[in-house]
This record gives sequence, structure tokens and C-alpha cells, in this order.
Amino acid sequence: MLITIILDDSKNNLADIIRESIEKTTNEVVIFKANDLNVEPCLACSSCSGKTYGRCVLEDDMQKILPQIVRSEKIILVSPIIYGGVGFHIKKIMDRISAVGDPRYYMKNVELVKKMRIKNLKYYMIGIKENLTFEEELLFIKLHEENIKIMDVEGKAFIVENSSDNDSVEKIFKEIIYA
Amino acid sequence: MHNFDILLICASPRRKGTSAMLLERIKNLIGGEIVFLNQKGSFDELIKKMQKAKTIVVSGPTYINTYPARLFELLEKEASNYKFSNQKLYGIINGGMPYVHTHEHGLSYLRLFAKENNLTWMGGFVLGGGAILDGQPLEKHLNHKKVVPLFDQFIYCIEKGISASKELYEKAEVAIPKCITYLISKALTYKVIKSLKKYGHNPDDLIYYLKCEKEN
Repeated sequence: MLITIILDDSKNNLADIIRESIEKTTNEVVIFKANDLNVEPCLACSSCSGKTYGRCVLEDDMQKILPQIVRSEKIILVSPIIYGGVGFHIKKIMDRISAVGDPRYYMKNVELVKKMRIKNLKYYMIGIKENLTFEEELLFIKLHEENIKIMDVEGKAFIVENSSDNDSVEKIFKEIIYA
Repeated sequence: MHNFDILLICASPRRKGTSAMLLERIKNLIGGEIVFLNQKGSFDELIKKMQKAKTIVVSGPTYINTYPARLFELLEKEASNYKFSNQKLYGIINGGMPYVHTHEHGLSYLRLFAKENNLTWMGGFVLGGGAILDGQPLEKHLNHKKVVPLFDQFIYCIEKGISASKELYEKAEVAIPKCITYLISKALTYKVIKSLKKYGHNPDDLIYYLKCEKEN
């Protein structure tokens, strides 16, 4: 069971805590530090749903992330919460994951949805912010809910208010790994 | 019309798409300057324009339920280092899915940005079914009879500097019955498969990134 973790630790020092927590429970894990990678914004060229189906034509670090993601059972995005959304490093990667999305349309609960081409993928988001307002928390969770709806995947969003709180981080990872 | 107090920022990498078309419509009716968000390089020039403007309108597409990453980068990395002076901020977000809830996060994101950076949030407009337009005029929208007057009311709010109520875009949303939703999904899928076949692909082909894993 491969787990891919993509994290932005530019505003906290979570990387080590996460590495420790996760290594206690599983070793089938790949960690990418989004803030150290070179990932260009999606150009909306639509080549990935046409000419180069399933392949992104931008030759940058996303070419290292996508081969891991398609082999994963779980993806975990760890991001600072900014204006009720994710940080831009993580958002660049989210936008580019559409390269491995299913371009067909489906109907679920009387609404149009898309799917991922990766079977049984589980998708998690962990948002980090101190002094988080209730409104921001709701927005972050709402974004994740919309994401799982449109991709038709399972998953859950978590909030960490204190990034040096090892115990709560470890608890979240346990919940995800045993889900 | 020339009205350099209004800055119209296109947050789409596509310069002739629906996001840009909506700004063109605003420019034609009440004026303003259209600026495209660059995909690389510095934001300095754009930030200066944002600071000088009295009204800023951001128009962008929905990428995975909110605005594209490059706008996030502008607002997170650069804009929070500069000072704003109560500029009025409006937002427009458009996407393929015909539902308001799919796209609405983008407007909340802008509202919180405004709140934290001394701008005044004035409301926004969500346009569902926008991607199918692919830059064609709003009159070609499937629900144009409702959408055109409601979007023009939104433009009127920008012109008068008054808050735009979410009722405008909520009224523009159509309730699609189950059988029609099913037919739309089939029609759109047919188009997708046809385009894939043109390039010799099948939707159920092995994922490219799994293939390279095997070859290695």
C-alpha cells in the first residue's frame, strides 16, 4: 500500500514530525516537499486529455510526482491554510494532478462528476494554521469536500492548529493509514 | 471606453477563454484595463496597477473547485507584502460544471484575501457551464436568457461601486433534471472519446505514468 505525501512546510516545520510519525506505522511512503520542487502552473493546454492522453507536457518535477501518485492508494496533501484554501505550492500540484484524471463525465447523486483514472484512490488534506477562524476552517473543509465530490474519491480533511503538536499529527496519520 | 480606475485581472492562462471574454464584456460596457496574469516571472508591475486602481475585478476559471494556482501565488506570496488602500474587489469564477457549489470556493478565497489585506470585498459572480463557451460571447451560454441580464446586473454593480448580491449568480443556476444530466454526461463523454480516438488513444488505456514505471 503506497502512500504519497506532498507537503508544504515553508510556514512550519512539519516535515520531520510527519516523517517520524509515518515511519512508525508504514514504510511504503514517498514524501515530496512541494516548496522545494520546481512545478510550473498548469497551462490548460488540454494535451493530457487529447494528444498526449494521461501525460503532462510540462517537463518539470511533476514528472517525478505523477508516477508515484498513479501507484498510490492514498495521497495526503499537507498545506498551510491560506484564505480558507491551500498554499500555492500545493495548489500547483493539485491543478496538475488533472493529467491523470478521467476526462469522461459521469453522473452521481443527480450531478455531473469526473473521476480519477487511479482506481480506489483515497485523497486526504491536512491544513495547518494557528489562530484559525471558524470560517477559514469551514472553507478549507468545504474545498476538500468539493474535491472528493468532483474526483469521485473517498477521503477526509484534517486541521492542525499547532504544528509542533506531534501527538495530534501522529494521531491523524494513524487514522489515515488504518482507514 | 477608457476607465483606468478599474483593473480587470484575467487569472486564466488562456487569453481567449471564457474568463477573458467576461472581462471584455465588462470593458465594453463600463471600461477598464484588462491585464493577464503572467504564468512566469515577477508580479511587480501587476501589483503596482492593483495599488493604483480604485476597483479590481478578478476573473478566472475553476481548477479543482477554486481559482488556478498562479492566482494563489499572486495573492499569497506577493500581495500580502504590499499595502492596499480599500480598493474595491469583485470576483468572477467560471467552470464547466453547471453548479454554483463546484466553483464558489474561489469567491470566498478572494473575500478572505480582501479582509486580511485592507481591500473591500464587494461580491462576485459564479458562472457554471462556462467552459463549454470556450470564449464565445455570453449570448451563446446554454442558459443565456437568464445569465446575460444577471451578469449585466453584476456589471452594473461594479460601475456603481455597490455590493453584488450572491442572489444574482444563484438565480443564474439552472436545476437540471436527472435524465438531462445523464444525457449531458453521455454527450460530453462522446466528445471526449472522439477527440481521444483522433489521436489514437482509448480512454481505458493503461495510464502513461504506469507504463513508464514498467519499462524502467
